[in-house]
Amino acid sequence: MTEVSETAVLAVPVERVWAVIARTDRYAEWVVGVLEVTDHHAEATVGRTYSERNQTVGALTTRSTWTVREIEPLRTRVDTGVGFEPMHDMTNVFTFRAMDDGHTEMTYAVRYRPGLGPIGKLIDKLQQPALRKKFQASMRNLEDLIVAEGVDQ
Amino acid sequence: MTNRVDVVVVGAGLAGLTAARTLIAAGRSVAVLEARDRVGGRTLNHDLGNGEVTEAGGQFAGPTQNHVLALADELGVKTFPAYNEGASVYVHRGTAKRFTGDIPPDPFALPDLGLAMRRIDQLARQVPLDAPWQAQHAQRWDALTFESWIRRINIGTGGLDLVNVLLGSAYGGTAAEASLLFSLHYIAGMGDEQNPGTIERGIGVAGGAQESRFVGGSQQLSIAMAEPLDVRLGTAVRAIEQDATSVMLRSDAGNWTARQAIVAVPPVLAARIAWTPALPPQQDALFQRMTFGTLMKCEAVYDEPFWRSDDLSGQGVFRSGSPICSMFDNTPPSGKPGVLMGFLGGRQWRAWAHRAPRERRAAVLRSFAQVAGRGALRPREYFEQDWTAEPWTRGGPTSVPGPGVLSELGEWRDRPFGRVHWAGAEHANYWNGYMDGAVRSGTDVARAVLEAS
Repeated sequence: MTEVSETAVLAVPVERVWAVIARTDRYAEWVVGVLEVTDHHAEATVGRTYSERNQTVGALTTRSTWTVREIEPLRTRVDTGVGFEPMHDMTNVFTFRAMDDGHTEMTYAVRYRPGLGPIGKLIDKLQQPALRKKFQASMRNLEDLIVAEGVDQ
Repeated sequence: MTNRVDVVVVGAGLAGLTAARTLIAAGRSVAVLEARDRVGGRTLNHDLGNGEVTEAGGQFAGPTQNHVLALADELGVKTFPAYNEGASVYVHRGTAKRFTGDIPPDPFALPDLGLAMRRIDQLARQVPLDAPWQAQHAQRWDALTFESWIRRINIGTGGLDLVNVLLGSAYGGTAAEASLLFSLHYIAGMGDEQNPGTIERGIGVAGGAQESRFVGGSQQLSIAMAEPLDVRLGTAVRAIEQDATSVMLRSDAGNWTARQAIVAVPPVLAARIAWTPALPPQQDALFQRMTFGTLMKCEAVYDEPFWRSDDLSGQGVFRSGSPICSMFDNTPPSGKPGVLMGFLGGRQWRAWAHRAPRERRAAVLRSFAQVAGRGALRPREYFEQDWTAEPWTRGGPTSVPGPGVLSELGEWRDRPFGRVHWAGAEHANYWNGYMDGAVRSGTDVARAVLEAS
């Protein structure tokens, strides 16, 4: 199993971060590579699903479906997804820690099993830096979105 | 009690007030009945404090818009150039690119856009402005949407996407919603009696329709016109009855009797008045089909226009997928405070109008940040003007007839109904839907009333 993980500090309160990441209809607004949420159940609920159209490589896209597996409010969110072949057993984990200065430490991680044997492992190794950049960009987007909403609102 | 005047004007926007002051100058007694608690129709100033305003409604004027510019001159309302220094920014698929001029740097879309613009101008010259239904190919053109025609002549969708950037603010809609014949007529009117209309003049800033703004805001024109007139605010006209001798207007605040009336409200609202006798069915059908587009103006106020020091004009063009279609620097002429304004129209309006206000605000400000930098995320004030929520406008900025309307019913647009005449930006041939069109229409209808009396 491979895990790619990035951590960032967002200059916004964890309650506001949670309010946005808990909405299954809003991922296209901040997650890099999510072009469109095609089906959702609004506030994330354990056991329910949502679907996306995702950018893969260049202009290529895929359709994915995610199931919400675990919610610990203001701390953890775990979802599993299908539709990213040749990667299998995809798990997405968001973790949060409220900091003393009112900011939020966020960790954005995915775990998956690369397919296609050794070639898949090689491709995976090559694409990991880009994936890390996407995670960092997504977290910056999330921060910007909350700032633009008006942090005090 | 019934009030008696020579002419009653319904609607205190630019068209109604222009007609009223022209008739007063000709010696007629005139009352202007306005449903809202203000004058100005689709022009609306927003107070920025310290005596500064910016515009929440119609705001730009440019070359060949001679009527609104002459009116401003007459009223002592000065113009100033819309800010157009530095680079504009083109946003496509999340990537922002600086450019100069009015045409965005999209090498895959430009050939299609160039071809479409050339063909549009060629065909527009074949449309008789005063009778577009008499164009040689009127029936064929009115059977097509603007989009279906663009798809026929283009290979990709880039040209269509960029035309839709214009239409997002100009129609509050997309090319898929508009008749080709109407669109050609609309563009043919982007000129004057000496200069044929062109799409380039419609989209342009320098030398185009977005070249100038009015000092004190465009609503100042209506405020100045209304001052010496008998304008009754909060007076919604509910019914109009006429016979061989007079016309009676029944309002929430009393009744008026006149020899003639001018109805200068959006056509679809005119159709909702209780008419006795009933409107001719063709005119009723036409007016009901002249619904407005959907448009919201979203504006953010900053201590100063910080983007200017980064050599940015504050202008942005957003190809499909962004929450707004285009944006401008809406700073008052003093240079402070800084104001950015974005159009959320048509498809974007439908995607975002129902969202929570703070979610929409975030989407708009992030679009502004793509053009002006991250400083745009933190305005000191943010406001929106959703013209669909205005009960006496019900959309914006103008009427956009779909296929089959102009060719079958268009000749009823301006035809007087007994003692009732029509005015408004939608009743103009030149600059239809614009402030200039409204003023032209007001002047023309006053002349028609004088000739008829």
